[in-house]
Amino acid sequence: MKVSHIALKNIKRKFFRSIAIIISVTVVAATLFSVTTVMDSVETSLEKGTARLGADIMVVPAKAQAQAKATLLAGEPSTFYMDRNIVDRVRKIEGVKAASSQVFLKTAKYKCCAVNDMQLIGFNPSTDFSIKPWLIKKLSRPLRDNEIIMGRELTAFDVGSSIRIYGKDMKVVGMLDETGMKFIDNSVFMPYSAMEKISEESKTKKGVKAANLPIDKISTVLVQVAPEISAERVAIFIEHEIDGVKALVTEHVISSVRKQLFVLLRSVFSISIILWVMALLLIGVVFSMIVNERQREIGLLRSMGASKGNIFRLIMTEASILSLSGGILGIIIGGVFIYVFRGLIRSSLNIPYLWPSPLEFIILIAICLFLSLATGTGAALYPAIRSMRMEPYEAIRGGE
Amino acid sequence: MIEVKDLSKTYKVGTDIVKAVDNVSLKVEKGEFLSIVGHSGSGKTTFLSLIGGLTKPDSGTVSIEGTDIWSISDNKLSELRNLKINFIYQFSSLIPTLDVIENVLLPTAFSRDKDKKYCDYAMELIETVGIQDKIKSYPSQLSGGQQRRAAIARAFINRPSIILADEPTGDLDEETEIEIMNLFKEMNKNNGITFLIVTHSSELAKHTNKQYRMLNGKLNEA
Ligand SMILES: Nc1ncnc2c1ncn2[C@@H]1O[C@H](COP(=O)(O)OP(=O)(O)O)[C@@H](O)[C@H]1O
Ligand SMILES: [Mg+2]
Repeated sequence: MKVSHIALKNIKRKFFRSIAIIISVTVVAATLFSVTTVMDSVETSLEKGTARLGADIMVVPAKAQAQAKATLLAGEPSTFYMDRNIVDRVRKIEGVKAASSQVFLKTAKYKCCAVNDMQLIGFNPSTDFSIKPWLIKKLSRPLRDNEIIMGRELTAFDVGSSIRIYGKDMKVVGMLDETGMKFIDNSVFMPYSAMEKISEESKTKKGVKAANLPIDKISTVLVQVAPEISAERVAIFIEHEIDGVKALVTEHVISSVRKQLFVLLRSVFSISIILWVMALLLIGVVFSMIVNERQREIGLLRSMGASKGNIFRLIMTEASILSLSGGILGIIIGGVFIYVFRGLIRSSLNIPYLWPSPLEFIILIAICLFLSLATGTGAALYPAIRSMRMEPYEAIRGGE
Repeated sequence: MIEVKDLSKTYKVGTDIVKAVDNVSLKVEKGEFLSIVGHSGSGKTTFLSLIGGLTKPDSGTVSIEGTDIWSISDNKLSELRNLKINFIYQFSSLIPTLDVIENVLLPTAFSRDKDKKYCDYAMELIETVGIQDKIKSYPSQLSGGQQRRAAIARAFINRPSIILADEPTGDLDEETEIEIMNLFKEMNKNNGITFLIVTHSSELAKHTNKQYRMLNGKLNEA
């Protein structure tokens, strides 16, 4: 027989008390785990997102600033336009290494068909630097005018399938890797020329709403900045040189969101710390009770030859089993929670969102398990030491 | 084997000072079967606890097989209790969460040598005390006498050389009392286990080979 066996039997005896302890640790672990996972995800998503967008600056019409931010961060379909020649003017500005234009178009809302409200992005294949690098499988030839590339989130469409856009059947020939930026993950990409064709053909098709793509307009210019100059300075140059545009530094847009989010998450985090302290107190009180209640039993075990260490280990084993079960349960519940509500989390936080990598996941799980274990054993530590120090004879007498 | 010298233990209760054990000396040879008789409050339990290393004396020494038990570390003392000395109490001393076989095996949980052979021996002891049909029962499902028998089986599991029994048959009927005394006698004869049996009944004391009397913390041969 082992000391751990005695501990297990004790846990089973006081079933409801054990459940209460497990639940309190579960609550703490679940909140802690979900909050840290979301925080971590937000952090990595934002980092990866900016890196993957590949653009340091996004030039948009000054009036459409707010809309553009929403599109960039949340992938909200939007349309705004400015003169096509702006891309050439941007290209000439000091510090601009590369510039490529994009044109936005929304899909029409059909009553019957599932394809609603997708952002269509027309890009310039010869200057593009932000789309093609994320093709899962590189294309061996340029896109034809009836071919499109899909963002990762649009999982309903596989490579090879067809999708009707403004009455024209388009073939999916490529899929982008997940970027965590809704702007990219939720959009449909095609060369600008293909988009023009769709718009043109839609005017004459029966029963199809006209796309009304304005001629000679673009929606945004994505800019890569030369390494020796800061994006902020280039943005100032652009706004100075070209009237009526806003040069959004993508890093800024994202970091301002990050700041807001972290304020929010920090308050949630504080709540979980309060929960944690409460659990600590609860477990401490319960284990003090356990030790008082079992005073005579502990004295008897000592008289049978249990050492101080055996008694300490017995109490700590109980605390560890309870808190680890609570921790595991909490991580599972927290994990299921963020999985089930991932859509809600994404939309309510209005952010690009990626799961942490497996390694980060393992680290987070390990930290949460360790914290749970530390909670239980930490709270039981003082009662365990007290029980260990009792003189056997006094313990036996005192518990009578 | 057991050598007690000038052993004293006092308690302060409020302003009163109680001399629970008052300058007691005693020598017990290996395999002796002796009893200590005394009224309630005369210091018998305190005396047994001092010998068994459960409470520290104010003065005096206890040596068991040549070891001064109050000069060794707590771990060594625990080991000594585990392997050499065992207690049988006047109250139910079974652990309520454990069934009979687990209770009997309990002391082995604290022994370094966790051999499987204990299981067979535990079964044998349970048969000896006559509760073989209660192996999987919990203490709450046993009568007082059956509980005591289980506690006795437990006392023998580590093959101790000394049994300290504190009113082991206190609340039991006469028939059971005699049975248990006979069991002790057998264990004493067959295995050479030393018995110190504390009782307040002079009747019961007649079963032992040597009788002591305790009065107000003083011990005298009867
Ligand atoms: N832990 C203690 N604190 C205070 N007084 C005690 C304690 N243990 C024993 N006593 C006192 O010491 C005396 C002897 O007690 P005890 O050894 O239990 O006697 P017995 O076992 O013969 O009934 C009693 O007066 C008892 O009240
Ligand atoms: Mg007594």
